[in-house]
Amino acid sequence: MLEVEALHCGYGALRAVQDLSLRVEAGRITALLGPNGAGKSSTVMAIAGHVALSAGDVRLDGESIAAASPVERTRRGIGLVPEGRRVFSDLSVAENLLVGGYVHGRDAARARESRVLALFPRLAERYRQRAGTLSGGEQQMLAIGRALMADPKVLLIDELSLGLMPAIVDQCFAAVLDLVREGVAVLLVEQNTQRALEHADSVVVLVSGHTVYRASGEESRRDTGLVDSYLGLREAG
Amino acid sequence: MFHLELLVVGLIWGAMYAMMALGLTLVYGLLRILHVAHAGVFALGAYAGVLTANATGSLWLAVPAAIGVAAAVGPLIYRFIYAPMLSRPPYVALIASIGLFIAMEDGFRLLFGPYGLPFDYNPWFVTTYSLGGISLNVVQIAMAVSTLVLAGAFGVFIAATRVGVAWRATVSDPQMAQSFGIDPVRVRYLNFAIGSAMAGAAGLLVGLLNNLVEPGMGAVVSYKGLAIIVLGGLGNVPGAVVASLILGVVESFGTVYLAAVLDRDAIAFAVLIAVLLIRPRGLFAPAR
Ligand SMILES: Nc1ncnc2c1ncn2[C@@H]1O[C@H](COP(=O)(O)OP(=O)(O)OP(=O)(O)O)[C@@H](O)[C@H]1O
Ligand SMILES: [Mg+2]
Repeated sequence: MLEVEALHCGYGALRAVQDLSLRVEAGRITALLGPNGAGKSSTVMAIAGHVALSAGDVRLDGESIAAASPVERTRRGIGLVPEGRRVFSDLSVAENLLVGGYVHGRDAARARESRVLALFPRLAERYRQRAGTLSGGEQQMLAIGRALMADPKVLLIDELSLGLMPAIVDQCFAAVLDLVREGVAVLLVEQNTQRALEHADSVVVLVSGHTVYRASGEESRRDTGLVDSYLGLREAG
Repeated sequence: MFHLELLVVGLIWGAMYAMMALGLTLVYGLLRILHVAHAGVFALGAYAGVLTANATGSLWLAVPAAIGVAAAVGPLIYRFIYAPMLSRPPYVALIASIGLFIAMEDGFRLLFGPYGLPFDYNPWFVTTYSLGGISLNVVQIAMAVSTLVLAGAFGVFIAATRVGVAWRATVSDPQMAQSFGIDPVRVRYLNFAIGSAMAGAAGLLVGLLNNLVEPGMGAVVSYKGLAIIVLGGLGNVPGAVVASLILGVVESFGTVYLAAVLDRDAIAFAVLIAVLLIRPRGLFAPAR
């Protein structure tokens, strides 16, 4: 479904990501792991169209979207749950969802909204509340819900569990697994390696912009020690 | 009675400040630019109004002229002055804005003379009504009514329409808003058009109230506008409206009770300094 091929991107002279290739299939999770500054967020933002590629290609269902604008990518089926959630803090939950559905018009949005609220009943309880006043977990649900409003085929999730209480992390993972069962392709960036490896169908580890490890989910679950060592967790723990 | 009159007159003057400051605070909220040239748009509206009124003999025609010219010029200022500078540090745009404001003032002086233009015929200035014992002329009543109508309409627009929601989303996070199909450039044009339209209306009303439109009329308003948006919490729209009304009332009482120590136009800064000593971020929290 989503193919990233030999992607290079950066900021001016800084090369954030070099020669990264990965695939995300419908109904599957690809985990993108790596220590701080590895280039995970840069990859996600490059796929979403917010960071320019300096080389390589991004394809959705076989068609290149590397030249498409961010909106065009949203319309074609790329959903973004950005690092730090970035909900519209001054807008209510309802309005955040409304904006999420702008690309597909009013009627489609109404139908999708009831699905989002069914997936996250918390958002229905907070429907009229300003997003800025929500808890971190609720904001994460809203960020996912907002992305779902545009009916994505691929969901890019940059840090699903960061800063959330364990019970909320469980809820968020459960929701994502529901989406995956419905056929959504998920690219998951995670600090919580254990949770990511538990559910991943394939795993890519980046260090300083270079791919240092790539394996299927099963393999990676046998290699947890190795993966942890790339992330600097073994030395630390 | 006397105090009530001071209060009413102060609120009316504050309403005019609010009409003027709204555009400033909107620009700050969206682009983080202190749009000093907004005061030039204010004076431009007044000039468009007085020229139209004197040419046609109709004050009613002056209203769309003032609003229309201001609403057209505001977006042009964005397009040709600010847009090319957005990637530079904010002080670059600030300096350009001050430069443009001075150029506009001098332009008015060169084109229309240093002493300004009076309205040949200004029935709104001389027609007064007594409301509950307080005597107000039509211009003052128009200031109060147009602020209520414009601010109310703007409030409904921004709170309850799709475009209003898109606008607030853009202020909150332009990149994410763009991702979901909101064009940030269109929001900016709309922002400048609406803010400038209100400044043009305010300029015309001040011109009518003084029965004079003069080149320097924007200067006092420009620094008061800056004081107001800082007091209101930079980029905070309701905050700016409340700060405007407070300033109008404080000035109104100040001209009576502080006249010996402070000039009317210095009161804005006395209030600004006093408030910032106690609340460094203004009376209300800044946007974001
Ligand atoms: N907007 C930016 N401008 C310049 N450099 C940036 C920008 N964003 C990220 N970088 C740099 O690019 C490199 C990769 O950063 P990126 O945010 O993609 O890493 P990450 O893997 O997401 O890290 P983290 O785990 O801390 O979120 C880092 O060296 C970072 O400093
Ligand atoms: Mg990151």
